[in-house]
Amino acid sequence: MKKLLVLLVVLLALGLAACTPAEVEEDTFELALITDIGTIDDKSFNQGAWEGLKQYAEEKDIAYKYYQPTEKSTDAYVAAIDLAVENGAKVIVTPGFLFEPAIFQAQDLYPEVKFILLDGFPQDGTYTEFRIEDNVFSIFYAEEQVGFLAGYAAVKEGFTSLGFMGGMAVPAVVRFGYGFVQGVNFAAAEMGVNVTLKYKYLGGFGPSPDYQTEAATWFQGGVQVIFAAAGGAGNSVMAAAEANNGKVIGVDIDQKDQSTTVITSALKGLGISVYDALTDYYADSFKGGESVSLGVEVDGVSLPEDFSRFTTFNKAAYDAIFAKLVANTDNIRTNIKKDTDVTSASELPVTNVTVEVIG
Amino acid sequence: MTLNTFYFLVQQTMFYSIPLLIVAIGGMYSERSGVVNIALEGIMVIGAFVSLYFMNQMQSTMSGQSLLILSMLVAAVTGMFLSLFHAYASINMKANQVISGTALNLFAPAFAIFTARMLIGVQQVTFNNTYRIPLVPFLSDIPVLGDLFFKNTYITTFVGFGILIIATFVLYKTRFGLRLRACGEHPQAADAAGVNVKKMRYIGVLISGALAGLGGLVLMVPVTTAFDGQVGGYGFLALAVLIFGQWRPGRILFAAFFFGLMKTISAAYTGIPILLALGIPSYMFKMIPYLATIIILTFTSKKSAAPRAAGEPYDAGKR
Repeated sequence: MKKLLVLLVVLLALGLAACTPAEVEEDTFELALITDIGTIDDKSFNQGAWEGLKQYAEEKDIAYKYYQPTEKSTDAYVAAIDLAVENGAKVIVTPGFLFEPAIFQAQDLYPEVKFILLDGFPQDGTYTEFRIEDNVFSIFYAEEQVGFLAGYAAVKEGFTSLGFMGGMAVPAVVRFGYGFVQGVNFAAAEMGVNVTLKYKYLGGFGPSPDYQTEAATWFQGGVQVIFAAAGGAGNSVMAAAEANNGKVIGVDIDQKDQSTTVITSALKGLGISVYDALTDYYADSFKGGESVSLGVEVDGVSLPEDFSRFTTFNKAAYDAIFAKLVANTDNIRTNIKKDTDVTSASELPVTNVTVEVIG
Repeated sequence: MTLNTFYFLVQQTMFYSIPLLIVAIGGMYSERSGVVNIALEGIMVIGAFVSLYFMNQMQSTMSGQSLLILSMLVAAVTGMFLSLFHAYASINMKANQVISGTALNLFAPAFAIFTARMLIGVQQVTFNNTYRIPLVPFLSDIPVLGDLFFKNTYITTFVGFGILIIATFVLYKTRFGLRLRACGEHPQAADAAGVNVKKMRYIGVLISGALAGLGGLVLMVPVTTAFDGQVGGYGFLALAVLIFGQWRPGRILFAAFFFGLMKTISAAYTGIPILLALGIPSYMFKMIPYLATIIILTFTSKKSAAPRAAGEPYDAGKR
């Protein structure tokens, strides 16, 4: 029995080792990406950034590699940056606001290396000192704009009772939520109807019976569609929608394959922005020292092209509102309030929507 | 509160209570044979992972209840296999049972994520839920009971109750059950009476593994469309149910439903006006089951029904 078990364990270990893809041995990797708590295949933030980097590197035949920090801490992130630089990285992509303090340190440590920081601005870790050097390019996404588009589409589709479930109240999720409320309001005002919206941060990003029950209760209580900006917790919202005849709006990537209840998704153009930043770098026009917020005007955010799961709303209506946002007609785009403008969704200036914030 | 809201709450409660019931009964078998199994959480993760991966691969060729039943078998077998490691460490090697269980708990999510990446490239194992039964024919027409148990349900609910009935019968009404309990109370005496303690404990742990693996699947199917390498601490919750239930099937049933109801209320109260009007924060509801567990333990610790030899490696020389 003992021998059999030992043999089994050894075989299992060997089997796993054999399946691991062999590392390609190369001396230097000019392009590097460091993941935050997620992974390069998280179907979300890291994956989007990684795909952009990979695409550029393969097109231009440049050696590239990703690094996964040992843990979620600034020290571990800096250590991963050290390793990347040691391996010859000239440009390092760091997706996520968790990297802010690490980049704050690294920009001085490695002035010759360029950093592309997604969704963040270098700060000292306590939000007291903010400083960006010439070797750092900080990219934000206008989540509030795509949230706005999603909310607009939902109300135009005819939904009058809506919901927003965010994972946690981190800046990007808050921007999604605020944008959603305002898009809902804009469409309702345009149509001259009054709608209701439940608003809540779940407190986690993983699937759980708790979130399924909560979403099911909302659907039972008359909510027709929920915008789930909550990562894996969104899958629990989808499960609730399937059982209760509800609809879901996905987030970050096109989630239509994860459930038939997903009518559309709020997309961020992570890959494109990394690709563009790398193009700039190799064209000697790296936007070091700058911080930009990518919105509709540069295709930083959008809804997916497929509108087949809508019955009333369609591509023409989407293109019209999208063009309005791009052109900033009547200051529609610049009027959208962001996470830094108000402290709660209940304070957003709305006329045709009753927002019920659930704490 | 309208009657429909009440029915809805009960239907939701099943999604929590049934997996807790199944896993806690598994834990009961292990502990009453004398082996503490805190690896329930890890076994749930692996059971859910392997069976949902199986589902993910098979759903293009089959669907519906037959696939769910097959997946349940896969989950149970997987859980049983994993629990072998715990059984071997704690019975043959006489290792500390808490350490061995913890090792499995740490191993499970990492293994699930690593393997998922290797097999399908991503961490999330997606599956189509084609198993929900909106109405059970005939039975759903029974007033009240039909609404409570035979609408918007899964066969797993009935499997859960079936397991409870069989488990109770086996534990109290068969020779095997008596021997198993003896091994958890006084293994030396059982040994002297000719019972193979090692064998009984192996069986106890294997049953717990099978039920924990099954519980992982039962928990995940109704509540998500993608498995993410975790079961949200429900294995530990099942341990709390086991303790709250004082290692007895009837009380475990009560505890599982009490926990489930509290979980449901804390998650659902925002959508139910009458509960919202009470003005109790959801944290209070979330705390109640745990507070109750602590209080019950405080009052019953003197005559706690925990199996006496649970957690102690069997040493035939110690009488």
